[in-house]
Amino acid sequence: MKKAHTSNNHVVIIGAGPAGLTAAYELTKFDRRPIVLERLDKVGGLARTENYKGFHFDMGGHRFFTKVDEVKKMWHKILQDDFLRRPRLSRIYYNRRFFYYPLKALNALAGLGIWQSVLIVLSYLKWQVFPYRCEDTFEQWVTNRFGRRLFQIFFKTYTEKVWGISCSELRAEWAAQRIKDLSLKTALISMFLKPKKTIKTLIDQFHYPRFGPGMMWNAVKEEIERRDGVVRLNTDVTRINRTGSRLDSVAVSCDGQEETIRGSQFLSSMPVTEFVKRLNPPPPPEVLTAAEKLTYRDFLTVCLIVRKPDLFPDNWIYIHDSSVKVGRIQNYKNWSPEMVPDPSRTSLGLEYFCTEGDELWMMPDTDLIELGKREVDRIGLARYADIEDGCVVRVPKAYPVYDSSYRDHLAIVKEFLSGLENCQTIGRNGLHRYNNQDHAMLTGMLAVRNLVLGQQNDLWNVNTEQEYLEELRVYPRPEIRDVAEVLEAALTRVFPKLDRLAFGLSVGMVTGLALFLATFLLVLKGGDVVGPRLQLLSNYFPGYRVTAWGSVIGLAYGFITGFVGGWGFAFFRNAAVFLYMAVIHRRAELHLLRKLLEYL
Amino acid sequence: MEENEKTPEEIVLTRLLRLNATVHGVVTGVAAGLLVFIATNFLVVKGGNVVGPHLALLSQYFIGYRVTFLGSLIGFGYAFVCGFLGGYFVARLYNWLVDFREGKRQHGA
Repeated sequence: MKKAHTSNNHVVIIGAGPAGLTAAYELTKFDRRPIVLERLDKVGGLARTENYKGFHFDMGGHRFFTKVDEVKKMWHKILQDDFLRRPRLSRIYYNRRFFYYPLKALNALAGLGIWQSVLIVLSYLKWQVFPYRCEDTFEQWVTNRFGRRLFQIFFKTYTEKVWGISCSELRAEWAAQRIKDLSLKTALISMFLKPKKTIKTLIDQFHYPRFGPGMMWNAVKEEIERRDGVVRLNTDVTRINRTGSRLDSVAVSCDGQEETIRGSQFLSSMPVTEFVKRLNPPPPPEVLTAAEKLTYRDFLTVCLIVRKPDLFPDNWIYIHDSSVKVGRIQNYKNWSPEMVPDPSRTSLGLEYFCTEGDELWMMPDTDLIELGKREVDRIGLARYADIEDGCVVRVPKAYPVYDSSYRDHLAIVKEFLSGLENCQTIGRNGLHRYNNQDHAMLTGMLAVRNLVLGQQNDLWNVNTEQEYLEELRVYPRPEIRDVAEVLEAALTRVFPKLDRLAFGLSVGMVTGLALFLATFLLVLKGGDVVGPRLQLLSNYFPGYRVTAWGSVIGLAYGFITGFVGGWGFAFFRNAAVFLYMAVIHRRAELHLLRKLLEYL
Repeated sequence: MEENEKTPEEIVLTRLLRLNATVHGVVTGVAAGLLVFIATNFLVVKGGNVVGPHLALLSQYFIGYRVTFLGSLIGFGYAFVCGFLGGYFVARLYNWLVDFREGKRQHGA
């Protein structure tokens, strides 16, 4: 049975994830009545919270931390007292030991042992002296900065687990958002603009909804509905109809029934690859081909319920050890005690990174639960016998993959999409961009401003990496923008090289002239003994006398001395500036790299 | 216009610093003035039968200068002027030489 939606004067939003729901919420503020279409039976998208027997399982572990004021305000407004401030602890499990993350020197030393620590230092020194000449891959980049041993311990296994390919094949480009884009300018600006308090807060604690992110998105859904918006669950968009460059309607399938929903404007957070495939008529073949080449990394969570009130203090643990397949383990009770309905129980989420259709993805749930139970027992976090129940949740298309060619393919798709007059793609998968929840929300907010206020915000430029620059670019924060401009101007005036030859010559000339005048003045003054004290300079300047001819010799000596002094000053000044810049650049790199592990 | 398109890294690596002659003069002048002021007062505070006979030789150039507190103020003035002139001309000469060298380089390119 087919029926058609009557009104065509509303905004159709595909996807009820953070981006889609935020866009709908914002639209209702402008008195619009959006209709949100969600394929799943619950809202939240990649940030949804699954419920199994009253236990809440956050798919991914979403730490609520943002520098985007609008997003922060929305979180607080929606959740109010249910927005908890939680302490943070996360460690790395490697070689049967736990290491604090961010790393702490003494803990790392104790965990690795003296011998291993010495080898790490030697390896670091070796790679500082003999680095890779080119840094095309992630492996080369990290090795050059930390040495091979640290790379193998803290980066290799985990990165390969997450992305499923060797670090030597992984182009540094995939991490470009955090690594390669780092410029001297950003490093300097970050030094001046990044408040240290924020970094500390980021390390020690974070905000979290009492019942997980799903609580936030359910509340947003209710708010949208209260304002006469519509959120339809279990509604799969099967076709997107267009006439030329305008979208007309979407065909949806809901409980076996097909329906057409018309709209005047469309926002889509569905994977961009799916979006172009469902267009009717289809886009040009090269766009379809490019879209097919955009790939994703998926993950599945084995949710376990353990008959123990307390297991370990961490919110989550990174599993770098290669003896197990699990990549990260969430302890939901430590995210929020209310995530677990029974205080005598603890719930864990074992995250396995995989690719849709691979062996792990296809494994039956019972086998996966068995695997999870064995691995958690092997790591020593819970005993096999204490695990009483579990379930499996698969999350397809969780991470857009930045392989060596994704940029070219995405550019083709992006160009085609920019030609669609009444449609914007938003969110992580709508933009095929590794945006976090807050940035996904931001794309929704900006899309609405484009739509309602006619602004020209470029959603593809909302990044996860350059937080400070992002603030400069996206928000009307004149005071920050002014500071950045002044800094950039100062940077180009202060940091260029002092010309050694020119500075040496000028100091030499002035010094020579000064000595000439000092000598000649005394000669003119005359007296019984002319300039006996100045004469002492002959101890250093052989042949110098306080005479007319001596003043000429003094001019030459003064010039040479001044030249050497000026040249040396310029040399050391340039070296000091270079060293200073290298240090702040490295410091900024380390800061970004520290965040990289969380980003993986 | 082309310059604006350069990244800070390119500018830092390829461009040569220019000095502001007045600022350079003032900074050198203040440094020289303070040096004489402090050196003089240090000897004044130290005291003794004959205070600073060697530093007093500066009066050969700085007429009216003495190793006394008042003399330290006079010395500051003289040293500031000398320092300013030295710094100012170093900066002017430096900028002129850099312009000359860069101009030559551009012609060469």
